[in-house]
Order: sequence, then C-alpha cells, then structure tokens
Amino acid sequence: MSEPTEVLEPDLAPQQPPGPPAKRSVTARATLAGAAVSLLLIVAIVLGSRLLRDFDSALLPYAVATVFLAFGVAYRYTVWVSAPGARRLFRRGIGSLFSAANFRKAPTALPRMAATYLGLQKFLGARSHARWAAHQLIFWGCLLAAAITFPLTWGWFTFTSSTGSGPGYEMRIWGYKVLGFDSLDLAGWLMFHGLDIAAVLVIPGASYFLWRRMKDRGAITGQRFAYDLLPLICLIVISVTGLLLTFSSIFLHGGGYEFLAILHMVSVVLTLIYLPFGKFFHIVQRPAAVGMQLFKYTARQDEQVFACKRCGEPVDTGPYVENLRGTMRDLKLGFDSFVEYCPRCKRVLRGNAYLTQVKKGFR
Amino acid sequence: MTSPLPLDPPLPLDPSIAPPGTRDFRDAGGIPADRWRADQNGETLVPTHCCFCGVQCGMYLRVDRAGKVFGVEPRNHDINRMRLCPKGINAYQQVNHPDRLTAPLMRRSRDEEFAEVSWDEALDFTVSEIRRIQGDHGNDAFGVLGGASLFTEKTYLVGKFARVALRTRHVDYNGRLCMVSAAGANKLSFGIDRAANPFSDILLTDCLLIAGSNVGECFPVMTQYLWGARDRGASLIVVDPRETAIARTADVHVALKPGTDSAFFNAVLHVVVAEGLADEAYLAAHTTGWDEVEKAVRAYPPSRAAAVCGVPEEQIVQVARMFAGADKAMAMHARGIEHHSQGVENCLSVINLCVATGNLGRPGAGYGTLTGQGNGQGGREHGQKSDLLPGGRSITDDEHRRQICRIWGIEESDLPLAGTSMMEMVWQMQRREIRGLIGICNNPFVSLPNYRTVKEGYDTLEFHAQFDFFLSETAAAAHVVLPVTVWAEDEGVMANAEARVIKHNKAQEPPPGVRTDTWVMCEIARRLGHGDTFDFPGSREVFEELRIASAGTVNDYYGITYERLEETGGIAWPCPATDHPGTPRLFEDGRTAHPDGKIHLQVVEWHAPMDPYSEEYPLSLTTGRTVAHFLSGNQTRRLGALVEQTPRPWVEVHPSHGFRDGDPVRVVTRRGSLVLPALVTEAIRPDTVFVPYHWPMPTAANGLTLDALDPRSKIPEYKVCAARIESAAQVTEVPAPPTAPGHEAYPETQASRTDPRPPTSPQGRGTAERG
Amino acid sequence: MMGRTIFIDPGRCIGCQACVSACRECDSHRGKSMIHLDYTDTGRSVASLPTVCMHCEDPVAPCAEVCPADAILVTADGVVQQADTSRCIGCANCVNACPFGVPKIDLQAKLQMKCNLCYDRTAYGLAPMCATVCPTGALFYGTLEELQAERPGVQVADSFAFGDVVVSTGVAMVVPADKVRWPVPGGLPVVEVNGVDVR
Repeated sequence: MSEPTEVLEPDLAPQQPPGPPAKRSVTARATLAGAAVSLLLIVAIVLGSRLLRDFDSALLPYAVATVFLAFGVAYRYTVWVSAPGARRLFRRGIGSLFSAANFRKAPTALPRMAATYLGLQKFLGARSHARWAAHQLIFWGCLLAAAITFPLTWGWFTFTSSTGSGPGYEMRIWGYKVLGFDSLDLAGWLMFHGLDIAAVLVIPGASYFLWRRMKDRGAITGQRFAYDLLPLICLIVISVTGLLLTFSSIFLHGGGYEFLAILHMVSVVLTLIYLPFGKFFHIVQRPAAVGMQLFKYTARQDEQVFACKRCGEPVDTGPYVENLRGTMRDLKLGFDSFVEYCPRCKRVLRGNAYLTQVKKGFR
Repeated sequence: MTSPLPLDPPLPLDPSIAPPGTRDFRDAGGIPADRWRADQNGETLVPTHCCFCGVQCGMYLRVDRAGKVFGVEPRNHDINRMRLCPKGINAYQQVNHPDRLTAPLMRRSRDEEFAEVSWDEALDFTVSEIRRIQGDHGNDAFGVLGGASLFTEKTYLVGKFARVALRTRHVDYNGRLCMVSAAGANKLSFGIDRAANPFSDILLTDCLLIAGSNVGECFPVMTQYLWGARDRGASLIVVDPRETAIARTADVHVALKPGTDSAFFNAVLHVVVAEGLADEAYLAAHTTGWDEVEKAVRAYPPSRAAAVCGVPEEQIVQVARMFAGADKAMAMHARGIEHHSQGVENCLSVINLCVATGNLGRPGAGYGTLTGQGNGQGGREHGQKSDLLPGGRSITDDEHRRQICRIWGIEESDLPLAGTSMMEMVWQMQRREIRGLIGICNNPFVSLPNYRTVKEGYDTLEFHAQFDFFLSETAAAAHVVLPVTVWAEDEGVMANAEARVIKHNKAQEPPPGVRTDTWVMCEIARRLGHGDTFDFPGSREVFEELRIASAGTVNDYYGITYERLEETGGIAWPCPATDHPGTPRLFEDGRTAHPDGKIHLQVVEWHAPMDPYSEEYPLSLTTGRTVAHFLSGNQTRRLGALVEQTPRPWVEVHPSHGFRDGDPVRVVTRRGSLVLPALVTEAIRPDTVFVPYHWPMPTAANGLTLDALDPRSKIPEYKVCAARIESAAQVTEVPAPPTAPGHEAYPETQASRTDPRPPTSPQGRGTAERG
Repeated sequence: MMGRTIFIDPGRCIGCQACVSACRECDSHRGKSMIHLDYTDTGRSVASLPTVCMHCEDPVAPCAEVCPADAILVTADGVVQQADTSRCIGCANCVNACPFGVPKIDLQAKLQMKCNLCYDRTAYGLAPMCATVCPTGALFYGTLEELQAERPGVQVADSFAFGDVVVSTGVAMVVPADKVRWPVPGGLPVVEVNGVDVR
C-alpha cells in the first residue's frame, strides 16, 4: 500500500470530534470573511468614487446590493472551501497555481486552460452544441453587463460632456479621463448601448434554456423551480426591462420609464442577493476548477500515473489518488484503500465475493 | 503505487485519465448525446411486437409528431410482461436507419456495379427474366425462397405467388434451416405441428427439461418463465454441451457430446422403463407403437449412452428419476437437438420420453419446441414450404390439392407438385436445374451451411432477385434488389412459439421508394398476367383469404380476425369459429390430430453424426447464436449497441488446448477454415469448440459447417461436424455490412467491428471492456 | 433500504445486457448507458453481475461527501442523483471513491454521470428502465413485499462490508436465508490480518 505524499493537517487530527464545534468555527470564519470583503468593497467604493463625489445616489440600491453580494459570496465561498473534499482539492489547486516550478515547466498551461475552460467553455460543447452556444451568449452578455454596471454603480466610471448634453463625451475612471468619444459615431453608440447589447445576448440564451427546461425530459428530471427556473426568469426579466427602458426613452419619450426603472432595479437587486445561494454560485465557484485541472496536469507532466492494483490499468494521477484518500479519511470513510482498485475491479471483486461467499447459483 | 506511463507529447490540458469502463460512452447506439431526442411532446405509442425471435414480446414503438419511429417503451403484454432483450430494445433503430435501401438496385450481369433504378425498370427486367428462363427451361427452372420472419400473410403469399404466378414447384423457405425437424416429429407423433403447451404452463410444472436451447441468449425473455417455475420449486434439467447461462445454475446440467442427443434420451427412457416409472395406463389409452419403442430403448442402457454421450452414467439415471418422478414435467427443445442429420429422431426421442411418463395435455405437463424466428411457427403453416399448402395441407394429397385450387380459382392441373428443400435447391442451382431465383427475407450466404457450395450455387444462377430492407450479403450478389418495408411499416400477424397468433401494427409510413413485400409480389404477378388472383391492397385482404383457406384444416385460423387479435392480445390456433377462444393447450382431451386420435410413438435409433471424426479432425464443432445478434446478422450487425456488445465472432475453447484469451486460433474442417480469437472457458466440453454464426465470410461459421441433411426434415447438420484447431498468426477482420453503391455502413455503429478481441463472455463484452 | 427500490439477484442474471441497452432509452441519460454489466467469473463460467447505483444510506452517499463542488444531491426519497451539470467539475472523486464502482465520467464534458434510479420514470411511478425490461428479474423494482409475493421465501440484504466498514444502501441484494443477518462482502481484498500483510 502506498503512503500519502501529503502530511495530514495537524488541526484536523482524528481525535477532534466532527460536528458542531467545527461547524461553528466554519460559520464564524465565513462571517468574518464576508464582513471583511464587504468592508473592503465599501472602502473601494468610497475611494473609487473620489469620496462619493462621483457616486450617483440614484444607483444607491444597486451599490448596496453589491455589498450584500460581496458578503454572500465570501461567506458561501468560505463555507464551501471548508468542506473536506473542496478544501483538499482547493489547496492542491492553489498549490499548483502558485508553484514557480510549474510555471517554468509549462508557462502557457494556465492561460490556455483559463481561455478554453472559463472563456470558451469547450467542455459545454462536449455536452451539447446548442447548450454551449446558449451558455456563451449568457456568459458574454452577463460579463459585459457586469463590466459596465458594477463600476458605474460604484461611481468608478463617469461620463461627462463639456457641452452639457453631447454629442462629445469623455469617460473617466476614478476621476481620470480615459477617452473621449462622440456619442453619434459607431464606437460612441456602442458605448452608450453596451447594456442593450448585453440584453440582446442574454435573452436568446436564457430563453433557450427556459424552453429546454419546459420540453426536455432529461432536464425536467429532478428540476426545481427556485434552483433551475428562477435564475433564468431573473435574467430574462432584467434583460427585458433593461431593453424596455431604452425603448421607452427613445420611442415613448420616457413613458412608463419610472415604473420600468423600479421593476428593473428590483429584479437586479434580488438577483444579486440571490446569487451566492442558488445556481448562480457556479459563477464564482467554477474558476477554482482550473486549479483541479492544473493539479492533474502537473502530475501527468511528471508521469505520476496511478495504476489499478488488480488490472494495472491507469486510474488517475498518483497525487490525485493520495489526495482523494486523504479526503476520504477526513470524512471517516474507512474504505479508502479500495481506491487503489479501478471501479471495474471493485465490481468484479464484489461479484466474485458474492459467488464464493453468498451464493453461487440460483438458490 | 505510482508508475510512470509513456506519454506522448503534447500532453492534453484537460484531465485525460479515467479508470477503464468509466469514461466509455460508445455504447450509445451511435446516436450522439446532443442529437438524442428527449424533447418529445405529443408522441404516440403504437402497440406491436418485436420483430426478432419466436417469443414475440409485446412492445410499444414511440412515434413522434412527424410520424417517425424514434424509440421503444416496454409493453405489459402477457407474453413478456414488459420484459425485453437487448435485440428487442434496439429493434426500433432499424426503422429509420441510414443503411436502409430506398430504391431498387439493378444490374444486368454480375460484372457490373449496381445502379439505382425505378421500380418499373426493376420489375420489367425481373418479369422479362422470369419469362425468358421459364420459356426456355420450363416453369420449374425458376425458384422462390421465402423467410420465416415475414408476416404470416406474406408467407401465404410467397407460396401462392410461386405456385400460381410462377407455376413452379420450387418454393421453400429459411425455416428449413430452423424448425422443420420439430415440425416433422410433431406431424409424425401428433399429426399437428405446434408446441403442445403455452409458456404459462412452465410456471406450473414441477420439472422442466430444456434440451439444446441456450434460452438465456436465444430467448432471453423466456427465462422469466424458467425462473418463475424454479421460484415455485420446480427442478431444471439442461442438456447442452456448453454451460450456458441457464445451465450454470440448473439442478442438472448434462454436458453431452454434440450429436448424441437421441442416445441420451433413449437411455433416459431406458431407465424410466427399467425403474417402472413409465405411465402404462396413459400409454395404453393414448398411444400406438409403445411396444416397439420399449423394445428399442432396451438397447440403450445408461452405460452405453454414457460412453456415447461422454456424461456420467449416474446423471442419466438422475435425469430419468427427476423427470419421471415429477408430478408434472415439461420438456422443451430447440435447434441444439434439431440441427442434426437425425434432427427428427432427436425430437421424437424427447416426445417419447414425455409421452411415456404421461406428461402431455395437462397444465404444467407437456412438450414444445422453441421456434427461433419471429414467425417460425406461422411461417411454416400456410404454404411456403415445398411440400405444404395453406392450412398445413399436403401438396401430395389429392383432396387437399382440390380444396386449394377451388379457393385460389385455378385448374388443378396448373398446381405444381411438391418441390425440394432449400439446401437441395442450392444443389439444383449448381446443376443448373434452377436458373432463376427470387429470394424474399433470407440471407443464405450467411445462414446456409457449407458456404462454398452456396456461393457456387447462387453464382450459377442466370437471374437472382432479392427482397430486403438492408443489403444483405446474399442480396449484394443478386441482379435485382427490391427495397421492402421493415416490420414496423406494415401490419400483419405472426404465430409465436406457443402457436399464439399475434398482431403487428403499422407504426410509420415506409420511406419514399420502399414498398411492402405484398405489393411487390402482387405487382410481379400482375405483370405476369395473374392480376385477378393477386388483387391484395394490403395484409388485411390477404389475411381474409388465408382465414378461408385454412378453415376446416388442422391449422384453422378461420375464427381469428384482426379485431379479435387486438382485443385479446393473441389467439392460439386452431380457432375454427369467431366465438372460439382458441386452443392454448393441445391434447387436453387425450386426442391427437391423427384420425385415430392416438399418439403415434416412433422408434428412434441413434447414429453417429455425418462428418466422421478422425485423427486430423478429432473435435466437434458446434455453432449457435449469441444474445446480441439475430440469425444472419443483416439487421443486428447494423445496430450500434449490439455491435458494441458483441463486435465479432470467436471460437470458444476449453483451457486444456493451451490457448489464452484472444489468441488467434484457426478452426479447420473438411470444408474450410477460419481464424478467430479464442475465448477460453471451462464452460465448454474439452472435445468441443463453438463458433457463433451471425457473421459473413471470411468470418462465417457456415464456411465450416456440413451440408448433410436429415433425410426426413432436410434440416442441415449445423450443430456438429468434425474439426481441429491450431494456432494462427492473425485474427480475420469482420467485413462491414454491405450497402447500396455510394453508401457507407453507418460508421457510428461500426466503430468496434474491427476490434480483434473476443467478447468477455459468450454474452458479449462487459460494459467496462469496451472501447 | 428504500421503500420501493431495486433488488439485485446475480444468481438469476443471464448476462444478456438488456439492462445496458434499456438504460440508454431513459431520457435522463440520453443515449448513454449508466448500468454496468460485468462478467465476474471469466474463464470458468458465464456468471455476471449487473451494477446499478446502490443509493448508499449510511454513510450517506460517499460520492456526494467527497464531491468538492457539492454537485451530487440526495433527494428526500433517498435517491442519490447524478451530478448537477452546473456544479460538476469532472474531478472524478466520486468515480474513485464509490466502493461499488458506480459513477461514470465524461472527461471531455467534465461531467460525472450515474444511475439515478431513472428518476424521470420513478418520480412518476414507473419502474426504472433496467428493472422493467430485465428478462430474468435479476433486477426487480418494487417493495420487499412485492418481491416476496413473486418469489416465495426470498430474503434480501442491504448492507455491505468493505473491510471493517459496513455501508448500508437503498438498493438491496438477494441473499440466501442463512445470510440475511450478515453484511454482504463488498469485495475489498483483505490485505492485513492482525497487522500482517497477507498478500
């Protein structure tokens, strides 16, 4: 039997009983992390908006929602990475990420992983091309919207016109002029309608998923409203109300604008607050998976492949298997030595044991 | 245990190692996940039955809103109670399969390539060739070969087409390779040709004897009846040279030497008589010929049979006591004892055993054969057999001939005489006695024994047309191929192994360019000037004529109508009137269909198989099926999941020969040789090797088998011939199934076909051993 | 053991793989078969063993416990679901931790998949595909009472021993009457007896 390459953490000594004390400490740590991150954000808002000089008070509810969002995300993230399975893999991932040796050996691995995995999301294409396309629409739409709205609500971006109402505008970040543009040319139009473009991207993507959740028996299996449907409805409501705001200001001379603005704001605020607790949490959770990928990649580079004890076929990388066995020991799953056998051999061994020790034939 | 593996640069960025069998999804049947349609709204379920074996499991075909079959759903029909085997589950994938033929193929000589032509052109050419050959060489120079996977209506039409439209005596069918030994034995003993008991009787029996049937692989869904009987305490006896899935757990497994069945059953009967276990009262009341049989079996003491069969003497005694000692016992057999040059005798020896112990005509006590093809029973009843007319009538009986001529409206002098059997017809092709042939629903290039002879016979034909929905190996050698419907595109009846007539329903319209076999036969008949006797718009009209044609005969279908079949889920013939419930169990009144009402027991003498053993050929080669494939494999070798399960044939050998799993082994007989991967297992006799027969040359088991026939049933001796094995250099690759010119066999289904490894077990590859 | 569940009897299994084909027809796996069929006595007999997810109850779903992404959910009825598509990162922890060797993984899609008791069918009262079609009843779906009504006197066990650890499961296996009280051996080879490696 092989020995784990990693030494057990002293603070997770087996004699420490699992349960409430550990749980409380996790809760406390998570609360602390949440508070710290939200505080940091508040400070950043104040400083970034030049001591609130650039802060648009009309956007206050949005800004408050982002502070809640920061708390929620930090809290959930801390709880999540405290669970044994996540904690070990997370540490191994971080370890691989910040390893200078890794960087020297394969400097392009991480950026390429991030691009194919987090950006292009090739793995979704392997599941279904249609889902990949729809997810890409939502992903880039949301990213665009977030890149525009978050700095705006925090008062980090300002758009000012020396003539009062255009068409010449200049954009400032933290008070510094970044660029000037004409709102009537194409670049200017795109700048002003970035959110509409985001909405146009998100609506078809989210609608496809919603349609699929109504029709597809596989998707419907075990589907829950709050977890699976609500996020899609939120995205669609936000995008549609956002587009309607533009529609109202251009074609209706502001008709219904106030009502729409409130509806839009409510939907955004609720979505942001809900984000850490539902399906959207995968947005902040997923990047850590690159660490897992890098961890396995590093071991593969060193040709550390673990082979099944019985059939000799590769199971996974050696450090990964040790990491999993450590996780199982943390969880008091006392059959961690069975990991040394591939799943097929586990089944064949069990089948053999049944034949020899339980019954050989019909009776 | 960390071991370095050689890595080929560049290393993939994504994790690329996973344990064997966890990451393999090629068993998906060839349908990529994102094209899998799970978003079916408004689908309809069409109740029908499976197209494959003689169990005829009920199933629903799932039909989408565009009217296309796209899936299967279990159906709670009382034959199968929702159960299905892997073939049945995948059957639906044939319907809209990319390999389907959708236009007639034609060439004027075998040197040319096939070209797609119009129906008119193909039929005109066919009719002109029929006229030419029959004009020059007489009507009998043109033959017709039918099939037992056709609906009964179509089998009726094949016989009528040959005799009325072509006026040839040469008509036979591929049931000749399948059920005729049992049919012959049934006729001789009982005067009626069908199983005596329904499947449900198996649940009531106390002792079940299965002879020569790998039920677990050939009739998987029937296993529930076997297990159901055992759950209720019945004992199970399996007679088979291989330890099959049902033999593995049986109470007694008689692993006899192939070709010694009648010696074994005679010896069992010997013990029954010697120990006074025979039912003398039953024998006296209901049988003739018992004295002769009793005298004959005296020559088969267990010691003799033990030596002949290669089984322990005690086992023979044990089987006799178990079977005769049971209150109710049943015996069932299949090709294992029927595919012999004494196939009829083998069946008779089982019948003798059942009758001598009084096990007949009672719930849970009886006898039956397990028909292999979907319509193995129905296909032999209504006149596509060389010597039979509809209703099981004999073509040599003047009264029967008169009756049929009256029904068909033809002159008695125009009705041809009896023809010859399928294998004999091939020999006649070699001799140019038959110069033209229409083949419907069969694939003799894979299914007939001694491939070299078959190929030569067919190649000698001046004209050869084949009806099929996939281009079979035989059709690929024809002049004209006519694309016809699959079972789900037409309606009709079949009779399963219980002689229960069941109704298949039409689930979708045939693709453009495809016609029903009924239409094609009627159209050729019309062009030959017999339109008046072939005016059948569809199966329903044929069935109406068939009902009348069978009325009053032993195989009486008169009381069966489509409506009644749909109401009841199946009616067992004879059913003489529309208010008759059918006859699931025969001989309940102790009377057979012979005029004297008696069971005519027949003396059986064992003789050695026709292919003599020698120093050069010391082993027995036996052939058979595997669970994932059906008959010649023209259907199942194109279905991805089934190809994945069992990609290729193998040779099963005992470890004593010194081979290891996967070693290339050459199997040699006096007819030829094949190189196959070895599947080494203790579950086969050391003196026997097994090769499954679903694949074409150069991997065809029937390149090795012997074309010796049973003198009465004319069934070939597939189940035993003399062979030897030797090590070889390389396993022969399985060829791709033929397709129409310009097409490639659907590649997603053929991915594993070229894999040289044998299966993990005779039932196929384990799910972790694929890839 | 769950109320309505699958009962596995390898003694009845004929290895025909109807379950393997049927599993593919279940809409929640769309063309991918999740069931495993292994020939466990190769070279000697044709014995076979179907493996569906055992839906571990105690400890609750080791696969879910080792999951770093909380992707495997256990529904209130005791069914261990396959990985949530938005959470699963394809790390294969569950694949290798499962003592029964159940989960499968699509490396390209970075997604675990496993038997979910045909939740698209069982949630509506239908039996899972594999147990519906199984020609032999080696896979039976129903309650213990229904099983015993069909097979008089049949006994089942729902705990499995892996070394010293006993895992009790939602899915049960048929055992002879004299072995009901003992956990079914899980097949983990004994490597140490009294601290001595006996391999």
